[in-house]
Amino acid sequence: MNNITYKKIIFTEKQLRERIIELGKKITEDYQGQEIVLLGVLKGSLFFFTDLARAVDLPMQIDMIAIGSIPDTTSSTGIVRITKDLDINITGKHVIVVEDIIRTGLTTAYLLQTLEARRPASVDVCTLLYNPDRQLIDLPVKYFGFEVDRSWLIGYGMDSGEYGRNLPFIAEMEH
Amino acid sequence: MSIITISRQMGSLGDEVASALSRKLGWELITRDLLMERFFPDSSPEQRTRLAESAKFYLSEYKDGRSFKDVLAASLISMSRESSAVLLGFGSQLMFSGSNDALHVRIVASDTTRLSRIEKHFHLSEDASKALLASTDRKHKRFVSHVFGEDLSDLSLYHLILNTDHLTVDECVASILAAFHEHDLRARIKTETRSEGSLDHQSETPVFKNPSEAEFAKILDMYHIDWKYEPKTFPVEWDSEGNVTLAFSPDFYLTRFDTYLELTTMNQKYVTKKNRKLKKVKELYPGTNIKIVYKKDFLELAERLRSVSAPDNHEESGEKNE
Repeated sequence: MNNITYKKIIFTEKQLRERIIELGKKITEDYQGQEIVLLGVLKGSLFFFTDLARAVDLPMQIDMIAIGSIPDTTSSTGIVRITKDLDINITGKHVIVVEDIIRTGLTTAYLLQTLEARRPASVDVCTLLYNPDRQLIDLPVKYFGFEVDRSWLIGYGMDSGEYGRNLPFIAEMEH
Repeated sequence: MSIITISRQMGSLGDEVASALSRKLGWELITRDLLMERFFPDSSPEQRTRLAESAKFYLSEYKDGRSFKDVLAASLISMSRESSAVLLGFGSQLMFSGSNDALHVRIVASDTTRLSRIEKHFHLSEDASKALLASTDRKHKRFVSHVFGEDLSDLSLYHLILNTDHLTVDECVASILAAFHEHDLRARIKTETRSEGSLDHQSETPVFKNPSEAEFAKILDMYHIDWKYEPKTFPVEWDSEGNVTLAFSPDFYLTRFDTYLELTTMNQKYVTKKNRKLKKVKELYPGTNIKIVYKKDFLELAERLRSVSAPDNHEESGEKNE
């Protein structure tokens, strides 16, 4: 049993499954005849990533990347950096970055800057949840599952103190 | 388009820097030999030999009453409108001396270092290397003096002077790229400003109006997102005599993402006023990308900044997914 308290379920397991199948079909159509690299951003996108990968019917390589913020000895603030880099070479390839949620977009902007330096053929973003009103930077978000407001969310990869990621649905937390 | 000119002393590794820079930027490297082929296709072998040997010959007529120098300068300026390029030598820093889109670099090294490199490269004795170095330096100096009436060693001709006694080729390339990035951005904002009639601040050192702005700058730095502080003012209302009565200076410009951000950490009354200004900017300056950072978003990001030192970066408060 999950020892997690939440206010209400926002997206059920069925809703998530159905929407991800739709996203998979759309990606399959858009990239028909091409090979892609599906790139999951750890840890939040883990379950979305694995379900989406299986909903896409294209030749693909998969890889995961992790970003963390660490204290920087040379300044009073921390810096964001890649804590788990890619294992495969993305140069000249069509990359789809898979995120669980995009809010202000600063992390994704950092990630895209880093990926673009490796000269892929293209980079698009697929995020399960998306809040365009809060986004500070225009990102190439080509696919998204659902629009969300500012609520604090848990489940299906998203956590509270590292717990709750394995909930099969997405719920709003008390905050 | 953009131009980087590289002027170099013999034995300074300037050719290697220009070549690596051109590869890194994906721009064409324009050398003297390439110029001859491209811009003087009708020249005779004799004329090419004289161009290689005599600086004064550049001032003689090539065709239609125009000198080799004039044809060269006009052709290069025309080429620079079509594509960006790295230009190596032939006084290119003087042909583009008045251009906002050009960055001029001089690569130098001490005589001792240059002699040592020449000895190794050409398998020459010390005396022969000294003679070659002296004659080449003289030739370069004479060329710039005769053709352009300038002193090649005048430091004011260059934005950046790099000494390869102490810097490797890669370090030189990285320095040029960093300088180019800033220079190009400044030129771009200046050009946009001119065409839109708004004001160009280009403050060298940002002086933040309040602590929130300083903190937000730290947040952007944390995410490696390049920014400029209040680089522009957009007039949005004028009186009947054309004097500006209302203007808007967004706090930050994110250079890489061509986006202006305005911070609002104040009460709703001011937010409404800012929203009104922002709407006007969007109407009057179509294509300008401006967003407001609302108090709640700012506080969440600031909270994340403060929680960085916590080793367990929680999804909502430190790790990612802002």
